[in-house]
Amino acid sequence: MRSVSITSRLTLTVVVLEILSAIALVGAITVHERHLELKAFDATLRGSADSIMGAIQDGENDERDLVLETRGMQLPKDVVFRVEDERGRVFGSAGSLPPGMAEPITNASTFQNAQVSGRNYRFVVRHGVRILDPNEAGGRVRRTITIIYGAPVDRVWHEVFEAIRFFAIATAILIGITALLLVWLVRRCLSPLYQLALQAERITPKTWQFESPTSAMEIMELRPLVRALEAALARLQRSFEQQRRFTSDAAHELKTDVAIVKSSLQLLSMRKRTVEEYSRGLALGLDDFARLEMTVQKMLSLARLEQLNEIDDRENGRPTCSLPEAVEEAVHQSRSFADLKEVTIALQIRSTAKVPIDRHDAILLCSNVLLNALQHSPPGSSVHIEMNATEGKAKLTVRDEGEGIRNEDRPYVFEPFYRGDPSRSRKSGGTGLGLSICKSICERAGGFIEISNGAAAGALVTIVLPEER
Amino acid sequence: MRVLLIEDEERLAENIVGALRESGLAVDRAADGETGSYLAEQDVYDAIVLDLMLPGKTGQSVLRDLRRKRLHTPVLVLTAQEGKESTVELLNSGADDYVSKPFDLGELLARIKALIRRAKGVSTPVLKVSDVELNTVLQTVRRGRYSLNLSPTEYRILEYLIHRPSACVSKRELLEHLYDFDWDHHSNVIEAHVSNLRRKLNTEGSEPLIETLRHRGYRLCGERNVV
Repeated sequence: MRSVSITSRLTLTVVVLEILSAIALVGAITVHERHLELKAFDATLRGSADSIMGAIQDGENDERDLVLETRGMQLPKDVVFRVEDERGRVFGSAGSLPPGMAEPITNASTFQNAQVSGRNYRFVVRHGVRILDPNEAGGRVRRTITIIYGAPVDRVWHEVFEAIRFFAIATAILIGITALLLVWLVRRCLSPLYQLALQAERITPKTWQFESPTSAMEIMELRPLVRALEAALARLQRSFEQQRRFTSDAAHELKTDVAIVKSSLQLLSMRKRTVEEYSRGLALGLDDFARLEMTVQKMLSLARLEQLNEIDDRENGRPTCSLPEAVEEAVHQSRSFADLKEVTIALQIRSTAKVPIDRHDAILLCSNVLLNALQHSPPGSSVHIEMNATEGKAKLTVRDEGEGIRNEDRPYVFEPFYRGDPSRSRKSGGTGLGLSICKSICERAGGFIEISNGAAAGALVTIVLPEER
Repeated sequence: MRVLLIEDEERLAENIVGALRESGLAVDRAADGETGSYLAEQDVYDAIVLDLMLPGKTGQSVLRDLRRKRLHTPVLVLTAQEGKESTVELLNSGADDYVSKPFDLGELLARIKALIRRAKGVSTPVLKVSDVELNTVLQTVRRGRYSLNLSPTEYRILEYLIHRPSACVSKRELLEHLYDFDWDHHSNVIEAHVSNLRRKLNTEGSEPLIETLRHRGYRLCGERNVV
């Protein structure tokens, strides 16, 4: 699995974006700076040309001509210039001009680029008019002077590069600082996540306390996660506790049954006994053992029902059976117990509905409910079973004429091993698992079972199951 | 010795009662917490065997109420609950011993007998008064060189008297501690048994051991010494 760090990813993204924008900025600055520097360079060139123009003076010699006096000027070494008039007379020059330097005669100054001994130069061509002896009559002579002045351009580039270098270094330092700041900031922002993880790590099957750290709750993005964690934990804890209670109750039940079997046999073997005593003891021991067996069997049934899931159903095909047949079978099985308790069973079946339950489980469901009713029936009373089907639902009701169910017990009667009074005598029979098994069967089939007090005295168990067509 | 069993589980109670009676103890049984509490507070029992999960009133509250009434009858608790905490809690609230289900019947008997002994101030199973030696495990009695053949009731009378040497024990007290409700008890029965016991204890060249105090009861002469 590839692991990705949010911190490094965020930092990297921001730094890359910063670098990209810095590069774009450097490009823009280069263009701008070059433009500015060139403008300044041109101004300097023009200025230099103008000062040369200014250095042209009337000559003191006989020819009464113009003279270039450059002695007072400080011209850079590598400049190239030539001053001449319209007659082609050169007043002064420095360096050698590149050939083919056009000399258009206009009033505006023109700029040209050219190479001088391998270096890039920029030239300005400047024209000016000088009038010789303006004060003397008739002596006015107009001279049109052309100055071609050039200087190496690399100085401009040097300036541009300097500016860029400064800018680039400053940007790099800034990016570095922001990157560090970003790492710190992101880590700090993520710290509630670490705290949350730390809290979650403390959870074990024994300690369920989960105190969501307030720092995590304060962060809007983390709140749903915290809520989901809390809800999931609460659900887990509930089911864990249910399991734990079931295990402890089951252990209690099994231990009691084993204690009975064991003590029966130990009592029998305490001393030598007559054959009659032995056979009576063995019969009692066998009864005790049958009860232990029943408890184990019911526990296994419940475990099987809870383990089965819909995937099994899909693989094996949905089992169905006829509910009336199951009811009749359950009544048949319970007949001897009912006779023993002197209870009559009144059966009313008004439907032939099929339900999505395995035949064996359907009989188990019906007989558990029926036995429960019989156990709570006083002698001479009757148990009423009714079955009908409407709107795709099969309904089975079993009503007894016993003492009914206490309201405070109603929510718990379907819990495994619940016996009303926390330790009601086991004498009343059953393992405390019968109704739990019924609930499991009903819920698996998509139906439900509930218990209430009927209009007359006694408890009324209602089972509603989806009808299979 | 008379033991009270408070246990709601019918078959388990039957077995324990059977075993206790076969080992020479008188047993009463209560099937729920309230009856158990009422019987225990009569203060006629030498030991109480108490189940925790009881209908009506839990074993814990039976125990608590008993101790609150300043009754010091030794209590052995039968528990099916796991966990050290409940054990500690039980012992702290006044239980003297506990056995977890499924227990060994022999062990349960031995523990009950040990509890009775200790409550009477004896720590070994062999009791001795002058030259009479009573083994509570084997339920045998010797006087000097002779081994005595006592009936179960005679043995129980002697055992009870040995536990209270030099004290005046009334017929009523003997009745209370030797017989459970299942017996048809009458003080004449006690008189007959004591007279038989006295005859059997009279071996050659020995002094009479049991003294009759008119209208008051019986007294065992001699100092008890523990082997």
